[in-house]
Amino acid sequence: MIELRGVTTRYGSVVANDRLDLVVRRGELLTLLGPSGCGKTTALRTMTGHVRPTEGRVIIDGCDVTAVPTHRRELGMVFQNFALFPHMTVADNVGFPLMIRGLARAERSQRVAETLRLVRLEAHGAKYPRQLSGGQQQRVGLARALIYRPKVLLLDEPLSNLDARLREEMRFEIREVITRLGITAVYVTHDQEEALALSDRIAIMHRGRLAQLGSPEEVYGRPASRFVAEFVGLSTFLEGRIERVEGGQMVVAVAGGRLAVPARPGAAAGQPALLLVRPNEIELLPADAPPGDGVLDAVVEAGTYLGDRMDYRLGLPGGLRLRLQAGVATRLRPGAAVRLRIPHGRALVLNPSDDAA
Amino acid sequence: MREAARAYGQAFREARTLLAYTLLVSLTLFILAPFAMIALRSVGRGWFGKRWLPPELTLEWYRWAVEVGNIPEVLKNTVIIGGLAVLISTAIGLTAGWAFGRCRLPGKELLMALLLLPLMIPPITYALGVARLFYALHLVDTHVGVALAHVAVCAPYAIMVLSASIEGLDERVLEAASVCGAGPGRRFLHVVLPLLLPGIVASAIFTFTHSYNEFTLTLLTYGPHTVTLPVRTYLAVGDGYWEITSAMAVLMVIPSLLILAVVQRRARPERLVGGFKGA
Repeated sequence: MIELRGVTTRYGSVVANDRLDLVVRRGELLTLLGPSGCGKTTALRTMTGHVRPTEGRVIIDGCDVTAVPTHRRELGMVFQNFALFPHMTVADNVGFPLMIRGLARAERSQRVAETLRLVRLEAHGAKYPRQLSGGQQQRVGLARALIYRPKVLLLDEPLSNLDARLREEMRFEIREVITRLGITAVYVTHDQEEALALSDRIAIMHRGRLAQLGSPEEVYGRPASRFVAEFVGLSTFLEGRIERVEGGQMVVAVAGGRLAVPARPGAAAGQPALLLVRPNEIELLPADAPPGDGVLDAVVEAGTYLGDRMDYRLGLPGGLRLRLQAGVATRLRPGAAVRLRIPHGRALVLNPSDDAA
Repeated sequence: MREAARAYGQAFREARTLLAYTLLVSLTLFILAPFAMIALRSVGRGWFGKRWLPPELTLEWYRWAVEVGNIPEVLKNTVIIGGLAVLISTAIGLTAGWAFGRCRLPGKELLMALLLLPLMIPPITYALGVARLFYALHLVDTHVGVALAHVAVCAPYAIMVLSASIEGLDERVLEAASVCGAGPGRRFLHVVLPLLLPGIVASAIFTFTHSYNEFTLTLLTYGPHTVTLPVRTYLAVGDGYWEITSAMAVLMVIPSLLILAVVQRRARPERLVGGFKGA
């Protein structure tokens, strides 16, 4: 539906977008996720036309719109700071796109009323933006962006200016409205929880490039690089060495133990391997548990109380460190020796030569 | 002992307050005294400065001013020229302000300083040059001509006020307008202009006031059809009729006071000039 093809944007010596290829499918909500400066906002503003790419094309619904000015691209946009017209009422704000398109007043009022009902603001049409709360203002922004049924809805960190509790409520509301209208949407955020909760697909960006594109389950469960693993969800890493490769598995020697993991293409004995484990997926075993595949010995270095769980830093043979999250009942003291197991299939092999964050 | 210290402290504070008020009153009197003198002279008859107050009060000087001095026509000229000066200055202010407020220009500070130059050089130095040019262009004694001469000292104010206003516009609001489908022209009409209105009003007030009071440039570009209030007052001084001159001066101040009163109540200029961010 909307596509960036080979988009590169340079500001002097800074490369904001680097050969970006992205296709957003009709009807999906795709999130551009990444830390500040990764180029996600630049990519979004290239789609709207506020940024002219140094190289590359922007394609909307099959048409090349790279040279088409913003006001003719038939897009809708929701801004982080709401960007409502302060000198117009809520109704006039929402009706602005229709007024520009020359719709008659009567029909305009009707459409405005409909759209305000969609965002549950029907009673506030005569108010001015400054009289509304942050959440209400953002709903007005959403209504204004949707009223003329744009081809694509773009959202630039729409919830970042709202407080945490409101953010969660608004998240559901936005997703619900988008699903109900069946509209294609591109969402930009740096909040990985938001991205996982809302998206059909996530495009993780890093230093102007696409680091991974996939569903939330793919991005969390099978991160393509160390950067992605660190950015989405909690992660802890172990360095080891491949002992042998047989069948589709390889046995990795790490921290005095052994782990069997799916083999990486081109793996051979003797190569280094970087394993990713999610801290909340490591099992704590009783001290007398038998050794075996994936069983490691460690010493507790520190424990942090997080209310609903404990976060431990463990030391392993060979100077390695591990992070583990477990229930509050465990209450391990620094210096305690523990036995733990990385369940089969929960360790991921990453390419050790990947670009770290 | 402590009682004494407190008493001294109190006395000191009271003395300081008294001093402050005395200075304030003195300053006010100092500023107002000339006006008071002129106002008194404009209603006095047979007052030759030997007494504190004029012996007789009369309004005949005002009648003279209106009839002989042709004040209504002069006022009309002043307003027309002022209006033209405001129009031209606002146009210049909007365009220059847009460039200064929103574009990245190399040497922007230098350019801004150059545009403010007319304010820093006494008008008499270039008024002669302007006059020569206007004679060649047949602009002398035309309302447009005098207005153009005024623009030299009025436009800088318009540029300063409007570039501050334009800089204060929220970029995202303008982007929102363009995403909603408004091209540059419609965006200007529906979004930019309404948001700039307070700034334009402020700029108009400053500009009109400066044109209204401008003397030097008017003196060198005026003619019988474009006599303004400051020039008329000056000519009356030359004629030696102090009473009539005083009456004209009082008449000249009244519109300014009216504008000031309206402006202070409706739109406070100090706030408008300071830009919008957070205001």
